[in-house]
Amino acid sequence: MKMKKLGVIAAGALMAMSLGVFGCSSPASSSSASSSAAAETEEMVLLNDGELTIVSSPDYPPFENLVGDETVGFEVDLFQAVADKMGLTLNIVPLQFDAIIPAIAAGGQGDVGVSGFSVDPERAKEIDFTATYYVDDQAVAVMDDSPITEENAVEALNNPDVIIAVQTGTTGETFAQENFPNATIQGYGNSTDCFAAMQSGQASAVCTNLAVVADMTAEAYADARIVYRVATGEEYAAVVSQDNPALLEAVNNALAELEADGTIDELKAKWFNI
Amino acid sequence: MMAILVLAISALMLALSPISAYALDTAKCSARPNGSTGSEVYGGSETRLTWEGQAAADEAITGISITFPAGTTFGTDDAKLTALSGKDLMDRANIGASFSSDGETLIATFDEPVVAGSYIRLEVYEVIFPTTGGQMELHGTYTLADDTSIPVEDITPIEVEGVSVTSQITSSLEEQDWVKSWNSNKFLRLFFNPVIIIESFPIVFQGFLMAVGIVAVAFPVAIPLGLCLSLMRMARLRILRGLASIYVNVVRGTPLFLQIYIAFFGLPLAGIQIPSFPLGVVVLSMNSAAYLCEIFRAGIQSIPKGQTEASRSLGMNGFQTMVFVIIPQTIKRVIPTMTSEFILLYKDTSMLAAVGVMEVVMYAKTIVASTGSITPYIVAACFYLVITLPLAKLVGMLEARLDSGRSSRSKKKGKIDSSASSDENEIDVVGVYAASAGIPVRKAPAQDS
Repeated sequence: MKMKKLGVIAAGALMAMSLGVFGCSSPASSSSASSSAAAETEEMVLLNDGELTIVSSPDYPPFENLVGDETVGFEVDLFQAVADKMGLTLNIVPLQFDAIIPAIAAGGQGDVGVSGFSVDPERAKEIDFTATYYVDDQAVAVMDDSPITEENAVEALNNPDVIIAVQTGTTGETFAQENFPNATIQGYGNSTDCFAAMQSGQASAVCTNLAVVADMTAEAYADARIVYRVATGEEYAAVVSQDNPALLEAVNNALAELEADGTIDELKAKWFNI
Repeated sequence: MMAILVLAISALMLALSPISAYALDTAKCSARPNGSTGSEVYGGSETRLTWEGQAAADEAITGISITFPAGTTFGTDDAKLTALSGKDLMDRANIGASFSSDGETLIATFDEPVVAGSYIRLEVYEVIFPTTGGQMELHGTYTLADDTSIPVEDITPIEVEGVSVTSQITSSLEEQDWVKSWNSNKFLRLFFNPVIIIESFPIVFQGFLMAVGIVAVAFPVAIPLGLCLSLMRMARLRILRGLASIYVNVVRGTPLFLQIYIAFFGLPLAGIQIPSFPLGVVVLSMNSAAYLCEIFRAGIQSIPKGQTEASRSLGMNGFQTMVFVIIPQTIKRVIPTMTSEFILLYKDTSMLAAVGVMEVVMYAKTIVASTGSITPYIVAACFYLVITLPLAKLVGMLEARLDSGRSSRSKKKGKIDSSASSDENEIDVVGVYAASAGIPVRKAPAQDS
């Protein structure tokens, strides 16, 4: 009798797991949120009960990076506040940047993708964007000894000899491809590798979001400088699966409250030096 | 291309000079690349058009219209207007406007006139250029507060590539009913989307050529290196033995992923600049040499001592014994393990993706990033299997041939690590494995992609 019961439980667990793997938002694999959050949104599904699981690539200071074994940064603090508003505990899952949108679209790895995503209608076909909470621009940095200067940047960067390091899947990548079509655009897994590649001479420049370039050139790579800035006005937002509109609404409500009570401005002042 | 560049720069110069003519000068007009990789703009698929222009100091603009070439479609829902100002044009302000379209022309009507002398950016999404490609001439006009309409100057044509064969196939596939019903299943769509299989095949194929190129150079280089190392490890001189065993243990005791990072980011810091292809080849062959060294050493040591004694008694010297007696027998014995090593090396080329070498996984990753589907990884997996599976088969055949040359009673069936049917060969294989097992058993480290 006992064995039979165990078997049933095991089979149930197996089914739930396989559903989770294939990313179906079935009620068996994910339980609806409880307590305060459930009051306003009945069908919101979370990966783990009582937890807001965010998927992030922790190599994007000052938005999120690792200090010791702890993930810190603007977006980490922001979503800690969002989770608090929703009455959930925050859980951070690390994942490489270009894998996050597919992971959120497929489900099963996290609830919200938070990794400095710029709102983009192309991306919006796969996932839903939350309300925006930061606006950023593009910038190009080179090493101090580079012949590329602020005066000749537009011309000098669009040159077949120039290798521009970008993070794959970022708006910086498409920006570089669009605006410097003659240069070689070399993709790396994260922005830290882009700077390491530039410092070691594998690439002549790095193109990514201004806040990151500013942070990198101010601290880790003080021997690099910004030569080109463009106010592309990219709006940062988190991404949520299109199958989960209730969660999107709950996160948006929390963000609106945080905007209204000044928390977002406080966090911006804490993390950005531009 | 250069001509366009020069034009673009001169346009920019014009635009940046504050006392430009009585005109709205185009500073920039470009379309976002919409291929899976590279800077090309293709017809037939969506792109974003960005136009930027500088209004003359005394012009307060109330509207802009852009006329696209015949056959182009565009969306008005996501179109966006921004005014840029300040140092380096780093201050943004949204311009409230309503957008409408009369087929070929996008008309933006501003809610109120913008400040005279503004720098304006217009972004239009869902632009689809004609599938034929070519130079796309755009024309613009702008309206002033007094309703005069003036043409926008200097819009550089956008170079659009014609639709490739693959995108013709994919767009026809997208229309088919069986594809639609296939893709309505989430699992099938994510892992085996036929449209993305076709789309990613030619792109991942470029990476396949790169990976095969790397391994085709690296492995032949690794073989003599490994042989030298194995001879050093068996040398009488203690210093040679020590050097070789330090090298082998360090290389086999650290992950290849780490070695690649050190070589790609560390060596250049030390002033050694090597392009990524030869550097990738060097790292992989140095790594593989350490493993091959152990395979060769085990192979050589598995030859019975009697063979050496016999050839020495026939008057051969040490060198002759090695070259004419020991090594020929060793080759046959190490072929199965060497092939496993080749297969490992070929799979390990994937790790070079982390440092920007454009091989199979790198290309697959870029398509995954732009499509959000896992399918390109499945395509990439096929490109690995297409080498590794036949190779395993081939080795079996080679072994059988080598075998039949010597004794007819032993016949091997081909598998990479098949154990032999004859007693003698069983000992060989086991011996080679036992000795080459050594410290860390090699396995590909999990990559974080």
